[in-house]
Amino acid sequence: MADSPSAQRPFDAIPDGDPVISFRDVHKSFGDKHILRGISLDFPRGRTTVVIGPSGTGKSVCMKLIVGLLVPEKGDVWVGGTNVPDAPEKDLMSVRRRIGMMFQDGALFDSMSVGDNIAFPLRRHTKLREAEIHDAVDHALEQVGLPGIADRAPSALSGGMRKRVSLARAIITKPEIVMFDEPNSGLDPLTSDEIDSLISRMKEELGITFIVISHDIVGTFAVADKIAMLYNGHLVASGSPDEILHSEEPILRRFLARNMDLPALPGAKP
Amino acid sequence: MSALAAGVRKVGAYAWFTVDCVRATVTHGVPWDRVMSESYKVGIRSFPVLFTMALFVGSNLAIQGHAAFSTLGGGNLVGMFVALAGVREVCPLLAATMVAAKAGTEMAAQLAVMRTKEQIDAIEVMAIDPRSELVAPSIIAVMLTLPALTVLTIAVSLISSMLVAVYQLGVDRGEYLSFLVGYLTAYDLFAATAKSVVFGLIIATVSGYFGFFSERGARGVGQATNRAVVTMCIVIITLNFALTSILYG
Ligand SMILES: Nc1ncnc2c1ncn2[C@@H]1O[C@H](COP(=O)(O)OP(=O)(O)OP(=O)(O)O)[C@@H](O)[C@H]1O
Ligand SMILES: [Mg+2]
Repeated sequence: MADSPSAQRPFDAIPDGDPVISFRDVHKSFGDKHILRGISLDFPRGRTTVVIGPSGTGKSVCMKLIVGLLVPEKGDVWVGGTNVPDAPEKDLMSVRRRIGMMFQDGALFDSMSVGDNIAFPLRRHTKLREAEIHDAVDHALEQVGLPGIADRAPSALSGGMRKRVSLARAIITKPEIVMFDEPNSGLDPLTSDEIDSLISRMKEELGITFIVISHDIVGTFAVADKIAMLYNGHLVASGSPDEILHSEEPILRRFLARNMDLPALPGAKP
Repeated sequence: MSALAAGVRKVGAYAWFTVDCVRATVTHGVPWDRVMSESYKVGIRSFPVLFTMALFVGSNLAIQGHAAFSTLGGGNLVGMFVALAGVREVCPLLAATMVAAKAGTEMAAQLAVMRTKEQIDAIEVMAIDPRSELVAPSIIAVMLTLPALTVLTIAVSLISSMLVAVYQLGVDRGEYLSFLVGYLTAYDLFAATAKSVVFGLIIATVSGYFGFFSERGARGVGQATNRAVVTMCIVIITLNFALTSILYG
């Protein structure tokens, strides 16, 4: 434990750029499907780390390991000074309270209005008055570009809108770490740009650590300070966007080449 | 043997889940807003169907009681029959099975859907215990509303049986009432209420258990609902025997 990164240090004391989350040789299987086969990866504090990789490689699983929704068979997942897989309930709760998470499909509560969904963590964790909660909800909805929809039901929203509401719910408690599972998929390019700039702005203004899972390569390079690629249960590449761009790793090259066709060859297609 | 072991493990898991719900509620507190909305759902939504059932169960109790006692020359004993069979046995069971079928399955299905759509995970990630948030309020709500529904069921069935006895079977109203009041004691109402509190606990925790631990996907939701209602009915009818033995044995 003594050699663990940032052991015993609260998040706030971790210097910018030092790892706030660290995977150490993490293995995770479901039945006989060995999904993660020894992942070691650091997520620096105050930076945006984007995790890329083909569908089904375990990107969402990684996020769930960080908040202890899943437990690895082997390996450590350090968040601050806490090793999540064997943290006692109290420590796990304190880790979770510092993290906001947007699930891939939104995971909005169907039985509540949009506003109540966003207000939910505030109602449970703070003693704010209703008027203050309303203001916070309105502000969060404005931030994600959906002002005035607080009274709607989640079922009445489009997929992209649900995603953004979920995003608003993830950031309402002003967490230190925010995780987005594919914030851009299903969004039009303009809204995607807005989300990207929201991420960059919140990182600058609030010093939030972002972890983003993405298929959207353009968006990835727009927001990332660090990029990590998972493939077949392994981490095949990780580094700054520049390093990734110039990496010789063949799988990564293939992944990028396919996705970057358009910007790389302007005017090549009619 | 292994089936027995699996069964025992299931019961153990259920018991542990119930204890966990109570423990989570003690540490995290009760979300009263949810208790209110759940009570409303259980109470108001189950009432129309229960009212209809009670109406026509009461009517038939009167007819059968009258038919049975008429052969002995005591058709006016129908009030006693309704008091004994209706109040003590039929009404608590009727209310419990209707609430199990309506509110119980709804709770199981709703939890299973929330599990499938990662909404339970989302609650957990917010550092909120989903048991105290989602299951505990239903437990409190059903344990509060089922006794009330049972008392209403009793009232409705008594009135309907009296109407049938008096206007259809020609029993004297005064006699019907005197036999009814003569045999119906405060203890009967207490026993019916006590039964329904236990049934309420069973309905909420069993449906909560199957919904909470359901498999993901549409199949999981169907399975959870199905298993919940079958288990609830079997447990309720068995417990009813035990409770009657204790309360009247
Ligand atoms: N709770 C679970 N139970 C069983 N298998 C699971 C579970 N969660 C994930 N898996 C499996 O693990 C694998 C990785 O899933 P994961 O959701 O992490 O993929 P992903 O990289 O996020 O893919 P995508 O880009 O499509 O979202 C999949 O094969 C999935 O079926
Ligand atoms: Mg995923």
